[in-house]
Amino acid sequence: MEMRIISLTVNDTAYEVAVKPWQTLLEVIRDELGLTGTKRGCEIGTCGVCTVIIDGKAILSCLTLALECEGRSITTIEGISTAESLHPLQKSFIENGAVQCGYCTPGIIMTGKALLDENPDPTDDEIKEALAGTFCRCTGHIKIMEAVKKASHPAGEKE
Amino acid sequence: MRLPRFGYIKPSSIEECLNLLQEYGGKARLLAGGTDLLINMKYRVASPELVMGIKGLPELSQIVMDDKGYCSIGAGITLSEIVSHKQIASDFPAFHKAVQSVASKHIRNMATLGGNICLDTRCWYYNKSKWWRDAREVCHKMGGRECHAIKGSPRCHAINSSDTVPVLIALGARVKVVRKGQERIVQLKDFFQDNGARPTVLAPEEMISAVLIPREASSARPAFIKIAMRKGIDFSMGSIAGLLAQNGKGAGELRLVLNCIGSAPITLKKTVLVIAEAGFTDAAVERAALTARSELGALTNLFTSAGYKRHLAEVLVKRALNELNELPGKNRSK
Repeated sequence: MEMRIISLTVNDTAYEVAVKPWQTLLEVIRDELGLTGTKRGCEIGTCGVCTVIIDGKAILSCLTLALECEGRSITTIEGISTAESLHPLQKSFIENGAVQCGYCTPGIIMTGKALLDENPDPTDDEIKEALAGTFCRCTGHIKIMEAVKKASHPAGEKE
Repeated sequence: MRLPRFGYIKPSSIEECLNLLQEYGGKARLLAGGTDLLINMKYRVASPELVMGIKGLPELSQIVMDDKGYCSIGAGITLSEIVSHKQIASDFPAFHKAVQSVASKHIRNMATLGGNICLDTRCWYYNKSKWWRDAREVCHKMGGRECHAIKGSPRCHAINSSDTVPVLIALGARVKVVRKGQERIVQLKDFFQDNGARPTVLAPEEMISAVLIPREASSARPAFIKIAMRKGIDFSMGSIAGLLAQNGKGAGELRLVLNCIGSAPITLKKTVLVIAEAGFTDAAVERAALTARSELGALTNLFTSAGYKRHLAEVLVKRALNELNELPGKNRSK
């Protein structure tokens, strides 16, 4: 029941954090590490806004215990861009109007990144399958699908 | 929503895990994917004293084609690992389709096969916040004596929503159930009991370690159909699995298993008799579908109305039979 000190690797930075067993990765990322790009949504695994990438897979941080992430490589939305340049997916979301209020965007971009890292040239159905676990209630899913699709074919590399 | 407080242990072997289960009994819960248990803990329908993290235990993380004729899948294998397993996809296409139909890719990356088989049953009156539940009498599933789904019922009617279970039952799968110093093999069809409050025969000190699919079942013709509100992520409103063993010319042994409309999967015995007697004629398929309606027993209005559930059973049986009857080589994907 006591606090435990664990080391977490988030965006290639090692953190030593004191966590309680019942703290989720989402709570630790946001409240202890201050990385608030990962959002809190339904908290029961249906909305996908809390998606982070753990060891290459899109994972829901609201249903993952922080202390089970020791020794695993975690990537959040803060870790995919630099101060100078955005990730191609982020650029594509802006260019294709796939962002309105933006609350779901970090989760969807992390989901899209996990997909494109695994499969750089997905079909429409594969994009749909990957994005099925995310929700956007204002942009609409068509623009989001197009943005992921276009990010998979960066200009110049096309055909 | 915060999780309730609990102690956490990560056992280093299955022996250690079984020792702890024996010691703690019902006060300990196993955490693998967490996509069912942690949600239930947030709703306070589960508040274990001890949570044991069994994710990645090597004894639970193997898929092997063993020498006894089984495809043995460790209970800790994630659904995504099954989806990307080529031999499972080619030998057991309906099982593969069912696994791929579970929830979303995020959840399949986390959820395990053992967890999907032991998925807790669900009910409108149970899967709610504690505050909401406190406004009503305590129901069977929470340890009380009421059923809000069917008033006056002596048992719980919460729904079993697993998509992998009907296919596995149709394939004749077994589960390896282990407890400290003991192991037993249970036919999956006998693993469930028609009581939402105690949906499986698993004792508190037991766990399943592997699922065994007879490899000979790969020669039979399979079908799986799921109907859900949205394709993307929802639990099924109804799903059906079928298996037609092909021995020689005539129709071989036929199995049909429905799920997600009652507390346990329903093996349709009378329905398949209609086809066994009359063959796959259009008239027999219609009659079989009507027989299925009457084979369902008492139904609840949970998630969908009882009448809708009977209609769904009829439609699913008809579609599954037509799919099973189609000539080999035809596109049988839909």
